[in-house]
Amino acid sequence: MESNKKVAFPRIANYNCAIKYILEKGMEVRCILQPEMTKRTIEIGAKYSPDYVCTPFKSSLGSMIEALEAGADSIMMTNGVCRLGYYGELQEQILRDLGYQFEFVNLSEYTTGKVKDYLKAVKRINPKYSFPKLMLALKDGLAMAEYVDNVTEEYYKNCGFEQEKGAFRKVFRQFLTEMETARSRGEIDAGYREAMQRMGRIPLDKPEWPLRVGVIGEFFTVMDPFSNLEVEQKLADMGVEVHRWMNVKNRMLHYSGEKNMNVKIRELCTYEMGPTSTANIWCAKDYAEQGFDGLIHVKSAGCTPEIDVMPVLQRISEEYKIPVLYLTYDSQTSDVGMMTRLEAFYDMIEMRKKVV
Amino acid sequence: MEKPVTIGIPRAMLYYRYKTLWLTYFEELGIKTVVSAPTSKKTLEEGAALAIDEACLSLKIFLGHVKALVGKCDYILVPRISDFGLNYEMCSRFQAMYDLTKTVFRNTGQKFISYNVEMLNKRSEWAAFMGLGQFFGFPLKMVKKAYDRAKKAEQKQWKADLKVQDGLLSSEKPKILIAAHGYLIRDAYIGRTVTDFLKSMDVVPVRADIIDRDEAMKASKELSPTCKWLLNREILGSIALNRDKVNGIILLSAFPCGPDSMVNEIITRRVKGIPILNLVMDGQDGTAGVETRLESFIDIIRFKEGTL
Repeated sequence: MESNKKVAFPRIANYNCAIKYILEKGMEVRCILQPEMTKRTIEIGAKYSPDYVCTPFKSSLGSMIEALEAGADSIMMTNGVCRLGYYGELQEQILRDLGYQFEFVNLSEYTTGKVKDYLKAVKRINPKYSFPKLMLALKDGLAMAEYVDNVTEEYYKNCGFEQEKGAFRKVFRQFLTEMETARSRGEIDAGYREAMQRMGRIPLDKPEWPLRVGVIGEFFTVMDPFSNLEVEQKLADMGVEVHRWMNVKNRMLHYSGEKNMNVKIRELCTYEMGPTSTANIWCAKDYAEQGFDGLIHVKSAGCTPEIDVMPVLQRISEEYKIPVLYLTYDSQTSDVGMMTRLEAFYDMIEMRKKVV
Repeated sequence: MEKPVTIGIPRAMLYYRYKTLWLTYFEELGIKTVVSAPTSKKTLEEGAALAIDEACLSLKIFLGHVKALVGKCDYILVPRISDFGLNYEMCSRFQAMYDLTKTVFRNTGQKFISYNVEMLNKRSEWAAFMGLGQFFGFPLKMVKKAYDRAKKAEQKQWKADLKVQDGLLSSEKPKILIAAHGYLIRDAYIGRTVTDFLKSMDVVPVRADIIDRDEAMKASKELSPTCKWLLNREILGSIALNRDKVNGIILLSAFPCGPDSMVNEIITRRVKGIPILNLVMDGQDGTAGVETRLESFIDIIRFKEGTL
């Protein structure tokens, strides 16, 4: 049965459509989709956040405030295996101290080791939710997230080589709009098929051996174009084939597990070093072995697990002779400094390719 | 065993928590240990040169201690401790510490030894220590005995520590609870600057991390239900249990400590009615800045108590 709650979730990369779908179709509440993150989001978030907390805390706090401004009366927050798992409690406290009135459903409170306890969180959002509907919407919503990842991968691999400028972006934008408005699995599938077909038909000017760069790093910042100042787009625009393994599809839906992945990097690390470390080390090594021209490591300032992975990446860089550019994102919003570093990196890998 | 082995133990991070356990365990097995010298300016400088710039002060100090041990022992002990169950987790740095240290020192030829505690994956401390002893070729029976004795020695030491703590808390002088990780507050170069200065001002510094741990866990759940870090839970619990017995709280943290960056914010927002000083140490030379802040904090406390 429908509930009249207006629920919001902080913005996460391009997955907002899937979250909206699960909330509306699975939990039968209204989903308030706040505006996309802007300079203002970061500014208000940073203003009320502790100084040296990692940057996604600040942007998601800003995004919550923008959701409340947009009329949401309930906010959902995820749990997580790093500091992310504690975001919710502190963000709620900060918002309450500011005087906002809302219901806060923090998934960290329902993390008990048993998956079914998350249903209690769903019950708080809609006490009369229907379990079959929820499961169905979850299945479709996760399929949508996977489609978003597939289209995104295709997009960044090829958009730098399009003959007609903006052709890929047009398809990508339209695909995201269709996902946001999709009301059934049929519409989701159709939108995905159409986007992939249309992307496949775009005429390309791609050299036989294009420059290939792998982007790795912290789960949120590496996926969210606003937070990483569109590093992938900027690389692609220079004429680079951009690869990024780290996304919801690979890390969450089809993850082979830390143990099985560690087998392939035994000589580099013995234990899991942090939530995404095994994946990032494996990924860096894999890209190096595939003969990529460079790697870009993306993380927010102060991200402990990613800082700890960096020595291992330095080792990979040394042993496989692959250049790595380390980018750390604070709540700054100007991309001039980053652009200079990216251009220098591009020039270097291009020269290297000519020599090698 | 053919040749006696020596194990190097860095005097940093978890050393302060497991000192008695480690030293007794190895002694029982007849393994020689060397502990690095207390932190000095040189330790920090050398560690900082080895660490990633953005790493926390405590890791930089740790790497400095490891460097001081390289070449002076057969193995350097770097445990890998992930968690003691759900919501009793360690900062992810302790998960990475062994692999990180090994990678940083990969060209020195130094060997490292680790043990893994990860209760969420059913790897207990007991099993870890059994594995450690067997690695060095000792029979299981002997390892079991060594661990039992080490555990008993640890318990005894802990009880003695708690007793000293009770004494401190019943002191007549003004008392300040120092909410900090054990490895920070007991560090000769960082924490001791603060505690020594407080003592010179005739104030009793009380370490928050010495507390009945079971009671602290319960109390911490009221102050912050979803806090996931064991070490911070102990501090939270200690604040909840001791706040009426002390005159002020200093939140002492190392820049940029991940857990502290958030938990200390929760504390300042939820613990009201007692003076709190938020002091972040970044390993700068000179103590004048810290001393000024401590002095004014003590003035506030004395003013509030009517003794200024």
